[in-house]
Amino acid sequence: MEITRTIKYEADRVKGFGDEVRSVPGCEQLQSCIQCGTCSGVCPLSIYMDYSPRQVMALVRSDFKNEVLRSHTIWLCASCYSCTVECPRQIRITDIMYELKQRAIHEGIYPKKFAIPVLAKEFYKMAYKYGRVTENVLAATMFLKTNWLAALGMWRLGLGLLKRGRFPLKVESIKRRDELDRMMRTVDRLNIDALHDEKKKITSHRVEAAT
Amino acid sequence: MDATKKQDVRIGFYICHCGSNIAAMVDCPAVARYVEKLPGVVLSRDYKYMCSDPGQELIQKDIKEHQLDRVVVASCSPLLHEHTFRAAVEAGGLNPFFFHMVNIREHDSWVHTNKVEATEKAKALAHAAIQRVAKHKSLEVKKVPIHPDVLVVGGGIAGIHAAMTMANAGKKVYLVEREPSIGGHMAKFDKTFPTLDCAACILTPKMSEVGSHPNITLLTYSEVAKMDGYVGNYTVTVKRKPRYVIEDQCTGCQECIANCVYKEPKFHDEFNEGLGKRKPVYIPFPQATPQVVAIDPKVCLNFRNGVLTDKCKKSCVTACGEKKAIDFTQQETVQDIKVGTIIVTTGFKTFDAKRVPQYGYGKFPNVYTALEIERLVNASGPTAGHVVMRDGREPKSIGIIHCVGSRDKKTNRWCSRVCCMYSMKLAHLLKEHTGAEIYSFYIDMRTPGKGYEEFYDKLLEEGVHFIRGRVGEVTDWAMSPEEEGKLVIRVEDTLAGYVRRIPFDMVVLATGMEPQADAQDVRRMFNMSCGSEGFFLERHPKLAPVSTFTEGIFIAGACQGPRDIPDTVAQAGAAAAEALALIDKGHIEQEPNTAFILDDECCGCKSCIPLCPYTAITFDESKKKATINEALCKGCGTCVAACPSGSIVQNLFDDEEIFSEIDGVLAHD
Repeated sequence: MEITRTIKYEADRVKGFGDEVRSVPGCEQLQSCIQCGTCSGVCPLSIYMDYSPRQVMALVRSDFKNEVLRSHTIWLCASCYSCTVECPRQIRITDIMYELKQRAIHEGIYPKKFAIPVLAKEFYKMAYKYGRVTENVLAATMFLKTNWLAALGMWRLGLGLLKRGRFPLKVESIKRRDELDRMMRTVDRLNIDALHDEKKKITSHRVEAAT
Repeated sequence: MDATKKQDVRIGFYICHCGSNIAAMVDCPAVARYVEKLPGVVLSRDYKYMCSDPGQELIQKDIKEHQLDRVVVASCSPLLHEHTFRAAVEAGGLNPFFFHMVNIREHDSWVHTNKVEATEKAKALAHAAIQRVAKHKSLEVKKVPIHPDVLVVGGGIAGIHAAMTMANAGKKVYLVEREPSIGGHMAKFDKTFPTLDCAACILTPKMSEVGSHPNITLLTYSEVAKMDGYVGNYTVTVKRKPRYVIEDQCTGCQECIANCVYKEPKFHDEFNEGLGKRKPVYIPFPQATPQVVAIDPKVCLNFRNGVLTDKCKKSCVTACGEKKAIDFTQQETVQDIKVGTIIVTTGFKTFDAKRVPQYGYGKFPNVYTALEIERLVNASGPTAGHVVMRDGREPKSIGIIHCVGSRDKKTNRWCSRVCCMYSMKLAHLLKEHTGAEIYSFYIDMRTPGKGYEEFYDKLLEEGVHFIRGRVGEVTDWAMSPEEEGKLVIRVEDTLAGYVRRIPFDMVVLATGMEPQADAQDVRRMFNMSCGSEGFFLERHPKLAPVSTFTEGIFIAGACQGPRDIPDTVAQAGAAAAEALALIDKGHIEQEPNTAFILDDECCGCKSCIPLCPYTAITFDESKKKATINEALCKGCGTCVAACPSGSIVQNLFDDEEIFSEIDGVLAHD
């Protein structure tokens, strides 16, 4: 049995993290959390989480940024919004989970081979480039980047889809991609400016893939 | 304005720091320096606490030393200290109405965030007051006699206690109760926390005392329909619903119930929360006061849709015999009573558990509300104290969910204060009656009261399981063999850190307290205010907890906010004492800010008469002019503004005073 110290020192906190999250529109109510556990009680996925949604709220409020951005919880959230509906303080817990996911991606703190962040990232990339998502290509990419052996086990399904013409090997795209490019460049410029400001405040923590 | 006239007065100005309440946002010395230069001002001071004894003495001393004839104090709301300063001015030898108060706390320092602008506002307000006070006239406080009788509205424990206190002090009390019997919610309870003495044993002696007290007129099955008048002289119209039984002739023998054509009770029993049945002729519970039966026209065979048909063979009338107490022709009657003071003790309503659908009340028969459990464990309840569920089984495991409807922004935001304690009481009683495993699911355990924490301790020792976590849902969907046929509670055990599923036979919902459904109507009828949550508003949360904004109307008990029995009784006693203080003074001093008619200018157009909200204006046919009853006038100013010929004047608010004030507030830029 290995015994480790579990105590948290003030140095373990990233002071201001809670305030930062709370300043995002939709996340303001976090402050009024009474730690009743309704969110965890109604969450269909809380049974798989390392930190329960209630604990995530407490961790964010107390500035335990590293713990919270490394947790599986934010990636397991399926956005069913049960917690948000039932919360007696009307905290938009799902939206806070989104905010935490975005921050984890921005900072590169997420389990690298975990399917959910990879899927999110690949989905975004594909939509960005082609203006459309080709589902089987997306799924294939996700498997390649996470657990390609699992994809082999699904050959029968792939073959069936292929036979019925439901497995296009070509990536679908919209017409007039140049217009999409121009739109995306504008959005990027605004985003990069915003990100740049944020990066200054953040001390980046890179982690090894957790899974 | 006439500048020479202003010079005639000698005004003293005082600005209060109110500790840091005002001084933190208003530069008080700067305001004092500004006011000092205004015409008519002889001296201007700033002081830490004007309401303190030294502050008041300062005013009195200055009046004598500087021959002041007007005083202005800039401090808090007149609601709090106008009386204090008027008294100080009077003690200094001036008419108390040569004083004016400026509110720079509630209207300025508390609501602003910019010190420079707040200071400028204070100067403008002070300037207005200086201009106005110069025009003030000497006024006299009038005295009107007070009627010594009292009305108590609502016959729960609060109403019972208030009525008894007043009646024992020799006052004549009318106690109006909507239901056929007094007793309220407390009569339904089994035991009371934390002492576990039986509710009926401590309540029913008081109830029968009320019933037989020579000074108390008990009006049950009645409602107040209207209130007129003013403090000391209220006229209240009470509507008496027909109970189809002559109260004076009924002896409470209940022969009629035994002989009703319905051999078995089969109708919804309100007193037992629908868990039991009653007949169309019934007495709500064995110790009901008065011991008089009532007939429910909605289900009695002698009525159809509430209309008398006379088609029943009326075995009840035969059983009643010579007493001739049953009278099917009874109609609703209206009775006017005159009282001087009113105590409103209309109580609360329990939260409707169906509004929280995830707990399954109304869907799963074995989910109960706490009030239903009170009846279920009660020896005089529908099962004679034997705890059996709706499916006939005795529960082996029971989950009690706290805070149902309370502490939730979607339903009621407030903590209902009693649920933690009554849940523990029910946990104890259920364990005692059934020996079941009991789990209590709480958010925070609130036990602030004498002996309450000790009660919590006792429950812990008894082996009741306390789980800190608000329940997510109650479901009958079994996920394991042990959950088959049970109600499953899914909850995060926040202290252990796990999400748990726990199967139960019975689930109890600790529903919170809400204002009565008709609280808004009652509020309007008695000229009271309600807080945002709908409970009646006290005049001051700390210092006038049983008074309302209407003189002579007092509140006590759960109509003012959730509270338990000890607090309710304490408050009822306090309300009775306040009412007694008013009555025994013998008269009421009336603010002289009333309106009066300039007879020479009134043209008798009558436009003011329908506008008066207090029906204080009448038309004098002989003079063909309107007249205002000073005792009824509240000084609202509606008639003054409406009079087309400008022939109504209001003391303290005449044109000269108001226009000077406006000039003053605009003079400062």
